[in-house]
Amino acid sequence: MCAWRRLHGSVRTLRGSLLRGCLSSTAATRRQPGRCGGLTLCQRLSTGGALRNDFFKDLEDQLAAMRKKAADALPGSSWMPFEINPNLPPETADIVIVGGGVVGWSIAYWLKQKERLPRGMRVLVVERDPSYSRASTVLSVGGIRQQFSLPENIYLSLASADFMRNINEHLSVMNEDPVDLQFNHSGYLFLASEEVAHIMEENYNTQRLAGAKVSLLSPQRVKENFPWINTEGVALASYGLENEGWFDPWSLLNAFRRKAISLGAIQCFGEVTDFKYTTHIRTTADEEQLETRRIKSVKVQMPNSMEYQPVECAIVVNAAGAYSGKLAEMLGIGRGPQDSIYGLPVPVEPRKRYVYVVHCPDGPGLDCPLLIDYSGVYFRREGLGGNYISGISPEEAEEPDTSNLEVDHQFFEDKVWPKLAHRVPAFEKLKVTSAWAGFYDYNTFDQNGIIGIHPLISNMYFATGFSGHGLQHSPAVGRAVAELILDGGFKTLNLKRMSFSRIFAQEPMLEQNIV
Amino acid sequence: MLKILIPSMFMLLTTWTSPFKQLWSTILMYSFLVATLSLTWLAMPTDTGWFYINNYMAYDPLSSPLLVLTCWLLPLMIIASQNHLAAEPENRQRTYISLLISLQIFLILAFSATEMIMFYVMFEATLIPTLIIITRWGNQMERLNAGTYFLFYTLAGSLPLLVALLIYHSSMGSLSYLSLTSLPLTCSNLYADKLWWMACLLAFLVKMPLYGVHLWLPKAHVEAPIAGSMVLAAVLLKLGGYGMMRIMIILDPLTKELSYPFIILALWGVIMTGSICLRQTDLKSLIAYSSVSHMGLVAAGILIQTPWGFTGALILMIAHGLTSSALFCLANTNYERTHSRTIILARGLQMVLPLMATWWFLASLANLALPPLPNLMGEIMIITSLFNWSFYTLILTGLGTLITASYSLYMFLLTQRGPIPHHLILLEPSHTREHLLLALHLLPLLLLIAKPELVWGWTA
Repeated sequence: MCAWRRLHGSVRTLRGSLLRGCLSSTAATRRQPGRCGGLTLCQRLSTGGALRNDFFKDLEDQLAAMRKKAADALPGSSWMPFEINPNLPPETADIVIVGGGVVGWSIAYWLKQKERLPRGMRVLVVERDPSYSRASTVLSVGGIRQQFSLPENIYLSLASADFMRNINEHLSVMNEDPVDLQFNHSGYLFLASEEVAHIMEENYNTQRLAGAKVSLLSPQRVKENFPWINTEGVALASYGLENEGWFDPWSLLNAFRRKAISLGAIQCFGEVTDFKYTTHIRTTADEEQLETRRIKSVKVQMPNSMEYQPVECAIVVNAAGAYSGKLAEMLGIGRGPQDSIYGLPVPVEPRKRYVYVVHCPDGPGLDCPLLIDYSGVYFRREGLGGNYISGISPEEAEEPDTSNLEVDHQFFEDKVWPKLAHRVPAFEKLKVTSAWAGFYDYNTFDQNGIIGIHPLISNMYFATGFSGHGLQHSPAVGRAVAELILDGGFKTLNLKRMSFSRIFAQEPMLEQNIV
Repeated sequence: MLKILIPSMFMLLTTWTSPFKQLWSTILMYSFLVATLSLTWLAMPTDTGWFYINNYMAYDPLSSPLLVLTCWLLPLMIIASQNHLAAEPENRQRTYISLLISLQIFLILAFSATEMIMFYVMFEATLIPTLIIITRWGNQMERLNAGTYFLFYTLAGSLPLLVALLIYHSSMGSLSYLSLTSLPLTCSNLYADKLWWMACLLAFLVKMPLYGVHLWLPKAHVEAPIAGSMVLAAVLLKLGGYGMMRIMIILDPLTKELSYPFIILALWGVIMTGSICLRQTDLKSLIAYSSVSHMGLVAAGILIQTPWGFTGALILMIAHGLTSSALFCLANTNYERTHSRTIILARGLQMVLPLMATWWFLASLANLALPPLPNLMGEIMIITSLFNWSFYTLILTGLGTLITASYSLYMFLLTQRGPIPHHLILLEPSHTREHLLLALHLLPLLLLIAKPELVWGWTA
């Protein structure tokens, strides 16, 4: 085609140069650039296009297309004779991690880190939301503290803080930028009233025993260190001196993801909609029949498409966060008769929490820890421009609707601002600049994480239900789950108490908080 | 001879005409019957030479152990495939069994051929059912790649063989084994003769496989379903060894110098593939590389051309056939339960499947050539004859033995011992069928300790 046009064009210029002296091109012919001007020997008088396809033109086209196709099919090009969706997960994987949040990617990283030989296992991370717009990880306030009452939680936070302080030893990738978590080590400050001060003291002892660097402050000391606090009603305060503060969750997630992918983990954006499993019926020692299931493959549905891929796998890790309970329901957990073991669902459900960003130029300033008052309200500094993030956990009876992530601004006016202003008088004059909502993967049983295998599903590990602590515990939880899978048991931290057995025995492991 | 071959051919008919509910038991019993009858081949009268039945098929002490192994393997393949084919539609199950039976027929014809061209045709013919089994019933997408490698490596090696055989036939007039001994190549120093020598051996070296041309084997073994892996490891590799032994007769004066690099390559391959075994993450891949390692020793033993070398090679071929097939069956029992071939995800199984651990133990010990098993006999004879040829091979073979022991123990300890991960606690218990399968693999091996003369291949 090009040759033909070139020929045409050269004829035209030739003619044009010949005829410029004789005839001027008329307006009609000027409008059609392919046409020659004037009357000459092989002139075309038609003003429309060709009525029939020219054989040689088509031949040229087809030959060019064939050449292009042949060149594409040479090795080194990515052309395939049949279109394959590049996002489709592989047909088989050794471990499928459902949920691409920070816990899921932490587990993927640690699994890849601990396999002794490169490419030893195929680890697939399936995430439903490519933009992470509804993921709990990125909507988190991002705090990390050791001020818990359960030793397991304290150890998890200590290990995670240590990991994050040395994050570039763990998660740096060659030839890429180092990881910057923007870890502000400003600490947490808990304020306790007279009624709950004894709980705070007990917790303080537990924390010190576990190795956390926490200090107890009297109201006078609090006033000295943080003059902007109104210490009315405060009997005791607990301040974290090291390893506490806040960081950027998105950076942590991306660091885990980047490192895991560089070690060979595979990412897939899709939704797990179904499982294929085999059922085994065994007789227990008490002569009862127990029906257990073993997952054989996971059905991953591609986003916005009818396409799906069944991924045959050996192990599934449920790190689906707020939706872990729903995922487990696909396997029939919780859908059996109510009083039996099959009727006990995985007690994790989404709970919506609001976070409000306020601007207060006369606020606490730079020396501002994450303050948590005994009334439940909390706030922390955000950036260096006088912005603060604040929120409160709603009452049990007033839990907001979890079908969307809409923010209730009235909630701020009614519940948050009064308590905030009472505790920090400077906040009486503030302006709410923005707000968002995120889901907790709320463990309705005892608000603490569940790590381990479900007794009824032989090969599904759970790492969920952290109820707001998932982000801060994620590095240590990832390591714990990787140890469970690869080493057969916990090696560095003994988290046996966080397994499913406490749920089946109905013995909650509750945090003794002051809020 | 025909009492085995004709029933095997009619087994094909039985596959397609028996009622579906009794298909597997019928075929199993039938193939067991054929296998028992084939044991009569081992009973050789005391005089030497061939026991031939007709113009085209014969057997002698070299081919009878391999024939018996072939016939013995079919019922084992049937037992092993029963589980994973249970989900398939009826016709496909029948097709699969027909492929296995046709493979056996071709193999019987190959091992009992009296003429090299018949052997060659059967050698090529075995590729087709194996290719179909690998590419149709394999588990992963990589099976297409594996089939391609398998087919083209073997074909590329065997086309020169055809040309070489035809050259020989046209110049000497006959390719019958019986007359090959009296028709050696007249000594000539033409470069073309050296190429002819190479052409004769290349196909078998690729099939064995020799270290440099072994790439098809890990792929094919890993991607094949269990019966495919079993027949590949147990018998098809031995086709290469057997062919080499047969054709050595006509290659005589040239082999003295020309075999040097191949012996060294084979021994180097023993060490290299043994070391690769220590770094494998996939269980079947580990067993496949160990096959390459053992067959490297066999190749070296054959190229040495001494009676002890040949004997060692033959014993090692038989013993390795049984051991490797047993290991693949064990790996398959793991795979059927966990759906993963990764070693680190299936550890500490002794706690959950203790009887299977016994079989793992015996098979691993056989793999590392523990006395008094015939594996050791074969290896010792080859190592001795190599040492006789050159002292320095002892370094390579000794190192090879050490590495073999280390990866066999590594495989056993990693899969059986150690803490058991939580997802393996509720593993399906072992089936009787699996125990039977492994017993039938290891029982002949143990019985051969008592009477190795059956597989010596000596005609004296």
